[in-house]
Amino acid sequence: MSTDTVTIAVRRSAHGPSAGQRIAERWSALWPSVTLFAAVLIAWEAIVVIFDISSFIIAKPSEIVMETIASWDLLMEASWVTTQEIVYGFVLSILLGVGLALLVVRFKWLDRALYPLIVLFQVVPKVALAPIFILWFGYGLTPKLWLIVVIAFFPITLNMIVGLKSFDPDLQLLTKSVGSSRSQFLAKVQFPTSLPYLMAGLRIAITLCVIGAVVAEFSGASSGLGYLIQFASTQLDTPLMFAALVVISVLGLVLYYAIFWLELLVARFYPHVRTTQVQ
Amino acid sequence: MTASGIFAEGIDMTFTRNRMTHHVLSAVDVDIAPGGFVSLLGPSGCGKSTLLKILAGLQDPTAGTVLIGGTPVARAVAEGQIGLVQQKPALLPWKTALENAAFLIEMTGDRATKRTAKERAAQALELVGLRGAENKLPHELSGGMAQRVSIARALALDPSILFMDEPFGALDAITRDQMNEALYDIWTRTQKTVVFVTHSIPEAVFLSQTVHVMNANPGRISLSVDIDLPGPRSTTSAQFLEYERVLHEELDRNVEEARISA
Ligand SMILES: Nc1ncnc2c1ncn2[C@@H]1O[C@H](COP(=O)(O)OP(=O)(O)O)[C@@H](O)[C@H]1O
Ligand SMILES: [Mg+2]
Repeated sequence: MSTDTVTIAVRRSAHGPSAGQRIAERWSALWPSVTLFAAVLIAWEAIVVIFDISSFIIAKPSEIVMETIASWDLLMEASWVTTQEIVYGFVLSILLGVGLALLVVRFKWLDRALYPLIVLFQVVPKVALAPIFILWFGYGLTPKLWLIVVIAFFPITLNMIVGLKSFDPDLQLLTKSVGSSRSQFLAKVQFPTSLPYLMAGLRIAITLCVIGAVVAEFSGASSGLGYLIQFASTQLDTPLMFAALVVISVLGLVLYYAIFWLELLVARFYPHVRTTQVQ
Repeated sequence: MTASGIFAEGIDMTFTRNRMTHHVLSAVDVDIAPGGFVSLLGPSGCGKSTLLKILAGLQDPTAGTVLIGGTPVARAVAEGQIGLVQQKPALLPWKTALENAAFLIEMTGDRATKRTAKERAAQALELVGLRGAENKLPHELSGGMAQRVSIARALALDPSILFMDEPFGALDAITRDQMNEALYDIWTRTQKTVVFVTHSIPEAVFLSQTVHVMNANPGRISLSVDIDLPGPRSTTSAQFLEYERVLHEELDRNVEEARISA
């Protein structure tokens, strides 16, 4: 223990690439799939033309584009209905999923009582519940929300429970040493710790919400993209069916990326959201 | 907060796991004067951490009493008299060094202290030599710096006693020496009572007024050595080496006994 000064090894994290570099990197990563996608579209168009396949059976990409433009208002109206179902359903799924996880983690007896039931419920094929919800709640928004929540809350709950339990026990002892309560620990330590897990859960849940909305609309609806597909199918309007399918896919993609955006937003306050690896 | 003494008598601790009882501590008495620096040294698993937690009111002993400043330890915990530093820094990854240092103050109920939390945290960071690192996130800190933040977090509470469980055990030797000097400096400046668990004999001799060497199965204090050297201590003086030798002998004997009785 001499009085000589010694240096402490300091790791300073390197600055990431600039925004321009990142975009360039993105593109070089993206172009193979873009090329492949274009090739598939061209092949699709060519096959339908060469083999002269009836447009009742399959629509050409060019037809789908034309149909999308022609039925733009119809498609947007339907999209708006479906988007609302998905967003409301998603928010309700988060509330239920997070709420259940907090209760299960906070109260041991609830953990024992509820957790097996939640898992048991998971093996019920929830799509099959759609007609029951329609029987109970009619053809409006309510049965759709029920189906969406029932399908989508589970991955949120499950991820959240794992996240809430992944705290450092040393931190628990520390908070105990200043006499703070378990609820405080849950709010100030466990909840923020679980955010990366919650985000992973949301990414799974949002795609399940899209599925839930479409299935609910198949089972009984008077508007929405799922309804439009069924309607077009009874009219043998194959191009409209495909157009609606494309719009749903784009909607799903947009919503999926909205979660990434949400994650970036959360990461401004909780940087570990983007650095913690969730399996 | 002024430093408090610790008086513990007849501490007994038995764990029961799968119907197997494990007698971890037996009839341990500890008397630490206000402002004292006492180290616990002993073989792995002899109950040092358990004893530290009992003295800090974080675990109830099977038998025995712990008084801090003459009052039951539970009250000391409620009054925020306990400062705890563990082997891992256990920082919150989303909080800066300053926010981490203020974190435990913000967890305590007292409004008045909460308002001054950041200010006190900044002072504590300065005390541990981290001025200028206030806005760094934990992943930007080295092991030594992170551990300094965790010490600052305890000091910011202005506790009457600092409980440290192998605080430098995970650090490299050079950083460890530096941390020892920093801690010695902090102790002389703040005059806190310190209870310090370590595996390192030189560390114990360098820092402590009294070193308790522990025995395992069940854990007891087998030898107490008062280090009667003025500070700052030279680690190469003949007396220092003699203290090291005495402690080494006792520790080796206890380790050997623990190996046989295990
Ligand atoms: N909560 C507990 N339940 C059961 N056994 C425990 C518990 N905490 C500690 N022990 C046991 O007590 C003994 C002493 O542990 P500890 O105090 O951590 O030792 P040390 O810090 O000296 O290495 C060990 O054998 C350990 O397995
Ligand atoms: Mg230990």
